[in-house]
Amino acid sequence: MADIHVEPVVEADEAPAPEERRGGSRSRMIVGILVAVVVLGLPLARPWISAYNYVLQVGLLILMWVAMASSWNIIGGFAGYISLGHNVFFGIGGYFSGLLLAYLGWSPFATALGAGVVAMAVGVLVGLITLRTRGPAFIISTIALLLLVHNAIDNWELAGAASGLSLPLPPLPVEWLKVPFYYGMAFCAFGAVGLAYWLAHSKFGLGLRALSQDETKAEVAGINTRMYKVTAYGLSAFFIGVAGALFGYSLSYLRPTTFFEIGLAAQMVLMSILGGRATVAGPVIGAVIITAVNEYSVVQFGATPLNIVVTGLILLATLLFFPLGIVGSLREAGRLPRWLDWDS
Amino acid sequence: MTNVLQVLVLGLLLGGVYALMASGLTLMFGVMRVVNLAHAAFTILAAYIAFYAFTLFQVDPVVSILITMPIMFVVGMVVYIALFPRIENSPKYVEMTVLATFALALIVEGTLTYFFTGIFRSTRPDYATDSFFWGDLFVPKGQLWALAVSLVLLLALWAFLKFTKFGNAVRATMQNRTAAEIVGVNVRQVSTVSFGVGMALAGASGSLLSYLFPFFPARHWQWVAILLSLIVLGGLGSLKGAFIGAMALAVASAFVTDRFGPTWSPVTFYLALFIVLLVRPQGLFGKVVRI
Repeated sequence: MADIHVEPVVEADEAPAPEERRGGSRSRMIVGILVAVVVLGLPLARPWISAYNYVLQVGLLILMWVAMASSWNIIGGFAGYISLGHNVFFGIGGYFSGLLLAYLGWSPFATALGAGVVAMAVGVLVGLITLRTRGPAFIISTIALLLLVHNAIDNWELAGAASGLSLPLPPLPVEWLKVPFYYGMAFCAFGAVGLAYWLAHSKFGLGLRALSQDETKAEVAGINTRMYKVTAYGLSAFFIGVAGALFGYSLSYLRPTTFFEIGLAAQMVLMSILGGRATVAGPVIGAVIITAVNEYSVVQFGATPLNIVVTGLILLATLLFFPLGIVGSLREAGRLPRWLDWDS
Repeated sequence: MTNVLQVLVLGLLLGGVYALMASGLTLMFGVMRVVNLAHAAFTILAAYIAFYAFTLFQVDPVVSILITMPIMFVVGMVVYIALFPRIENSPKYVEMTVLATFALALIVEGTLTYFFTGIFRSTRPDYATDSFFWGDLFVPKGQLWALAVSLVLLLALWAFLKFTKFGNAVRATMQNRTAAEIVGVNVRQVSTVSFGVGMALAGASGSLLSYLFPFFPARHWQWVAILLSLIVLGGLGSLKGAFIGAMALAVASAFVTDRFGPTWSPVTFYLALFIVLLVRPQGLFGKVVRI
């Protein structure tokens, strides 16, 4: 019955411009295919790229951050529950695959999906405890979880404790070394964005957005809000765990500070909010912009403590002056180009 | 047996300081619904002020409270006026305060690291390494002074809230913001001053922290997680809860330190947070939080 009523309302809303709509989704399709071709084709353009490994490394970082920001957006954007220690899943993934490699010789390329599953399982278990309440307690618990795991790894001798654990490099010639990592990160990025797209268009995602607006009303409407939140938290951990496994291997060294600095979570939050929370394209745009800015400032000024100041300043400015982010603000002004609108 | 008593004493001594640190946070949440993630970052800032007052001008860290409290009071009011009226009407106000103060914490941390580097610091007044002895029992002087100062300040805060007209206005705002506004409380002014008072308490905590615990800028995350854990335990926004939570967890962490070493002491607080969320999500003295 409800379906019969909802359907015409949606159509009526979009009825004035059916032509534009069809044209819009075509331009969107073209952009999507173009991005996929560029991303997947980049490593094949070896003869035409001079600093091949550097370009691939920057591409790899951008893809990684797209995956991280899009994943964060699932819990922080769609479900509206801010996680400030989200890189805990990055570390869990990195250490899971790294330890299997160091002690059993299993390649992280084989175990990365397992790392994602482990990260997701941790997310679900922790979420079952911390998502029982609404409001600030969950946010606090995410920081506590990050520091808890960080502390545990810092004191775990088998994992090299605070000084870290070195990993063997993959058996590949140096000029091809980056390629498998690049494609691995591309998998994470497309996976995470695909997940976000599904959330924007599925009943489950609709439920999440409903509870992010008003949890009590969502509950009354028959949504099992607790299970929705816990599922969202788990899903948002998966690709971050996979990315962590690949990233640790690509560094060939596991060190707690690489994975558990809260600054990493701050980047995910910033990218997602700058681009536009609870949108599909927002975190992607945010990730590309911020990674480019970071890369440029590190090349120009080196890694200084001021980088974190800049992160804080951009985040604060976004929150105060355009809290909807790039995509959200454009949409509110009615100026969002169709090819950026992946939410409808 | 002596050992148990000794650990208990050490825990209770630090509990007062934890309570002082948490009181500012709890006041801010209670009055303004602000979850101030930058609280510990500002505490560390105050610790640096105390550190330089001590090394450059030989100001005793306990005395330096007279410097750090007024400075942080003013900083607090400025921060409040600059940030919060802008997001006051946001539909997701609590969440916005979290994100804004998160950004603020990053800015403070980065700035402190830039100017003061990431090296461990700590002030070393004579009494920091001295103790009173009663038989087998020892009471570190520095921690005793810190407890005394904390209790005096907490008592002053309590008296301020209980017996002054302004304090009544603050408590009225804590109980019901809208109703307070209707009966003529200037909620904006109450919020601004309360934020200043909360930050002044962070300032005093910084002075004490400067000789009790070695610090460096990035250490504030650990502190803010500890403090937030114990105010969740006590019930968000409850001053009594924060005090009891602080005492209980300080004693628990003293036992953990005694058993497993000091690196595991912060873990006590985090685990307590998860246990509280599992067993009694609203905390010991909290009402169910309405957002």
